Amino acid sequence: MADLILDNLSINYGSYKAVSEVSLTIPKGEFLTLLGPSGCGKSTTLFAISGLNHATSGSIRMGDRVLFDGKSGTVVPPEQRNIGLVFQSYALWPHMSVAENLAFPLKLRKIGRAEQDKRIKEALELVEMAKFAERYPFELSGGQQQRVALARALVYRPGLLLLDEPLSNLDAKLRERARVWLRELQERLGVTTVYVTHDQAEALAVSDRIAVMDTGRIRQLGTPKEIYETPADAFVADFIGSSNFLTGTVVDRAAGMANVRLGDGTVIKANTGRNGADENVVIAVRPERLQIVGGAGENVVQATVQGGSYLGSVYQYELTGAGSTFRVQTAREVADKHVFVYVPPEASTLFAAQSRPQA
Amino acid sequence: MTELSAGSAPGATRDRSTITFWAVSILTTILVVGPIAPIILQAFLDRPLYKPDAVVTAGNFVRLFTEAGMGKIVLNTLFFAVVTMIVAQLFGSVMAVIVGRTNLPGRKWIGEILIWPLFVSNLVMAFGWFTMYGPSGYITLAFKAGTGLSPWNLYSLTGMSIVAGLSQAPLAYLMCIGAVTKADAQLEDAARSAGASPMRALISITVPMMRPAMVYSAVLNFVIGIEMLAIPLVFGGPSGIHTVTTFLYDQGINAAVQSDYGIVGAGAVMLLVIVGLLVWLQGRLMKDSGRFVTVRGKASRPSLVDLGPWRWVAFAAVAAYVLFTIIAVFAGIFMRASVSFLTPLVPFWKLLTLANFELIFNQPGYVRAILNSVVISFLGGIIGTACVVLIALVAKRSEFRFRRALEYVALFPRSLPGIIAGLGFFYAVVWVPGLDMIRGTIWILIAAFVVRYIPIGFGAIAPALSQIGEELDRASRISGADWWTTVTRIVLPLLKPALFSSFALLFIHFFKEYVTAVFLYQPGSEIIGSTMLQLYAQGDNGPVSALATIQVIITALFVFMARRLLGAKIYG
Repeated sequence: MADLILDNLSINYGSYKAVSEVSLTIPKGEFLTLLGPSGCGKSTTLFAISGLNHATSGSIRMGDRVLFDGKSGTVVPPEQRNIGLVFQSYALWPHMSVAENLAFPLKLRKIGRAEQDKRIKEALELVEMAKFAERYPFELSGGQQQRVALARALVYRPGLLLLDEPLSNLDAKLRERARVWLRELQERLGVTTVYVTHDQAEALAVSDRIAVMDTGRIRQLGTPKEIYETPADAFVADFIGSSNFLTGTVVDRAAGMANVRLGDGTVIKANTGRNGADENVVIAVRPERLQIVGGAGENVVQATVQGGSYLGSVYQYELTGAGSTFRVQTAREVADKHVFVYVPPEASTLFAAQSRPQA
Repeated sequence: MTELSAGSAPGATRDRSTITFWAVSILTTILVVGPIAPIILQAFLDRPLYKPDAVVTAGNFVRLFTEAGMGKIVLNTLFFAVVTMIVAQLFGSVMAVIVGRTNLPGRKWIGEILIWPLFVSNLVMAFGWFTMYGPSGYITLAFKAGTGLSPWNLYSLTGMSIVAGLSQAPLAYLMCIGAVTKADAQLEDAARSAGASPMRALISITVPMMRPAMVYSAVLNFVIGIEMLAIPLVFGGPSGIHTVTTFLYDQGINAAVQSDYGIVGAGAVMLLVIVGLLVWLQGRLMKDSGRFVTVRGKASRPSLVDLGPWRWVAFAAVAAYVLFTIIAVFAGIFMRASVSFLTPLVPFWKLLTLANFELIFNQPGYVRAILNSVVISFLGGIIGTACVVLIALVAKRSEFRFRRALEYVALFPRSLPGIIAGLGFFYAVVWVPGLDMIRGTIWILIAAFVVRYIPIGFGAIAPALSQIGEELDRASRISGADWWTTVTRIVLPLLKPALFSSFALLFIHFFKEYVTAVFLYQPGSEIIGSTMLQLYAQGDNGPVSALATIQVIITALFVFMARRLLGAKIYG
C-alpha cells in the first residue's frame, strides 16, 4: 500500500468546472473524508480516483504508480487500479448470491477455489455477515446490503478503499452505529480510505482528516478538531456545525485579537483568525458557545428574543441584537424578552464580510 | 485479511473491448448502408448497375415524374396513408380508453383479441377482408341476399384505405393503452381531490397524456400506410388503383421479362426520402414528450371508471367492432381454407373439404415455404437478438467514442420500407462480387429481415437495459472486470427476460414478413408470404387461405409457448 496523491486535479464537463485544481496527499492507512454540500465535486473527485469518470487535467498517483496523468495522457482503466469502492446504492449484483458477489472479483484475479472460499469467509466474518453467504441481495436489509458491499470491496485486498456516502440509505440510529463500526474496521485493517459524505457529524466522527469542498475546490483540509474549532473561512464555519455571523467593523487589532464595533455600537473582542486586513468583518460564533448572562459586561451584547424551539437536549432561541440576527442554544429555558448575551472571545473568529455564505 | 498488501489487479485485457466496439459498429454500418447505397446508385444509372457500360444520369427521375399516371400514384399513396392513419388512430385510441380504463364487461378478453392482428401480416388480413367483404365475399353476399342492397365497394381507394386503417388500429391501440393504463394514479387522484368526477379526471388528465403515444403511432401508421403492399395489391389491383409500393412491385416483379431498373431505383429513392422525412418529423414531434411522462417509479395503477348501465352500450359497440373487424376476418380465412367454395347460399359444412390443405402438403415447394419460414424466423430471431443486444450494449453501456452514432445508424432502418430493404439487398448481392453465393438462399432473407427489424429488437432491449443501474457495471469494473467481462457476466444475465422478448418479437415479425422477401426469394428459398402472393396471383384462393391458416396456427402456438416457457413479453 502506498500514499495516494492528487496533484492539481481538475474535472470539466464542457465549460462547467466540477473540480478545480484539487491537490491532496493521503498517507497510507489514513481515513480522509471529502465533505461538502451536494454539487461541490466530492463524488466527482472520488469517481475520478476510481477511474470511473475521466479527469481533465492534473494527476492521480498511488505511490509510484501513475493512475491518471493529464499531461502524458495516461489513464489506467478502473479494472486495473485495484481499488475497492462502496456505492451509495451498494450496487450488489442481484443475480448473484452474497458469496458469488464476493467471488466475482477473486475469479477475475484467477485465485484458486480454496483460497477464494477462505477469503470470502474471512471478509464476511469481518462484516459479521458469514451466516448470509447463500442469500441473494433482495433478501437482505439495507444495513446488511451495506455490509456485504463493504465486504465485496475488501475481499480482493485493494490498495485503497473508496466509500461514496455508504451510510446515507440507512436510518438515523443504524447510521450512528454503522459509522463507529466502519471506523473500527478501517483501523483494524489499516486500509487507506477516502470517504465522501455531506453529513458533517458523520465526517467529524470517523475521519483522521477532512477536506471541506465547495464549488469544486478544497476550502479547508485538517483534522476534525481543526475544522470545527478554527474554520478557515466563513463557509467552513457555517457548513461544519452551524455559525452565527455578527456584522461589524474592526476598531483595532493586537496580538491575534481585535476589537470590533457591532451594528448597535457595542465593541467586543474576537480572534482575528486567518483574516487579513479587512475592515468590514463578520464574527462567527457557534450557537452553543454563546451564553445568556444576568447583565451588561465585557463582550456582552443586548438582544431581544424573537422566538424559540425546544430541541430535546437544548433550547434554541432566535435573537436580534447588535444589528444582526443570531441563534443561542442553552440548557435552560429563557423566560425574558430582553436578554444579555456573552460572546466568548476565544470562541469568536473574524472573517472578511464578503466571505460570508449566503443563506 | 489483516495483511492487505497481497492484493493486485487483474492483467490488462482492454483491447478485446475496443475491438468489439469497432467490429459491432463497422458491421452494423455495412449491413444498414449496404442495401441503401446500390439503390441510390441505381437511381442515377441509365441501365442495370451490374452492367459495366452504365452511365450516370438524372433521366430516371425525369421519366419517373413525367411518366403518365405517376402524379396519380403519388396522390393515391398519400390519400391511402392519411385515411389509414386517421381510421387506425380513431378506433385504436377510443378502444384503448374504453378497454383500458372502464369497467367494460369482458375487457380482459376483448383486450386480448384486439391485438391479434398484430401477430399476422397485413397480407393475411387482406385475404381475410377479401374473403368476407370483397365483391363476392361471404358477408357481402349474405348482406345482399338479406337486404337486396349492394352494400360497399372495397375495390376503391376509400374502401381499401378503411380496410388498411382497421387493420392498423391494433397498433394505435397498443401504444395508447400503455399510456392510459400506466399513467400515475396520483395524477388522477389529485384531480379527484380538486373536485373532478372520475370520468372528468380521466378525460382531462389521462387522455391528454396519450399525446406522445398518439403522435408516435400516428406517424408509424402513416409510414406503414405508405409502404404497405398487400392491401393495395389485393383491393387496388383489380380496379387498377396503384400506390408507390404496388407500382414498385409491378415494375420490379411483374415486368419480369425486362425490369425497368432505373425507374424502380428512382421510385425507391423517392419512397426512401418520404419515409425518412416522416420518421424525422416523428422525432421532432416527440421531443417535448417529457411533459407527458406518465410512468413513475412506485406509481400504482389508476382505477377503473364505472360506466354504470352505459357499460352495456359500450360493450355492444366494442363487441360489434371486434366481431366484424377482427373475428370475422380471421374466421373468413379459416372458413375459406376448409371448404371447396365459400358462399352464404349453401351451408358451409356441406362444402367442407381438406383438399386445400392436401394441395399445400402435397407440393414440396409449399411445404418448403412453411419450413423456410420457421427456420428463418427461428435462426433470424436468435441472430437478430444477438446483433441487437451487442449494438445496445455498445451504444448504451460503453465508453466507445462513437456510441451515439452507432445507435443512430442501428435505428435508421425505421426509415427503410420493407420493399426498399428487399430491393437494396437484391441489388447488393448482384453488385458486390462474392455475395452471389448467398443469392437465392435463406441467408439473404435472414440478413435483410434482421437489418429491417433491428429497431424492433432494440425497442425491446433498450428500456430493459436502462432499468439496470449503471452502478452495477461500475461495481464490476472497479472489482477488476473489463468491459466485455462486465457486460457478459453482469449485464447479460440481468437482461435475460428482455432477450427472450426480443427473440419472440423478432420471430413473429420474421414469420409474418413478406414484403422484404418479394425481390429476394427464389425457388428453394420461398417463404409462406411469398408463396401466398404467388398463389393469389394465380387466383387459387383456397390454398392461399390454407397457407394463411397454417401461418396463424403456427404463430398462435409460438406466442403461447413463448409466453409460457420463455416468459416473453409480447405486446404487453
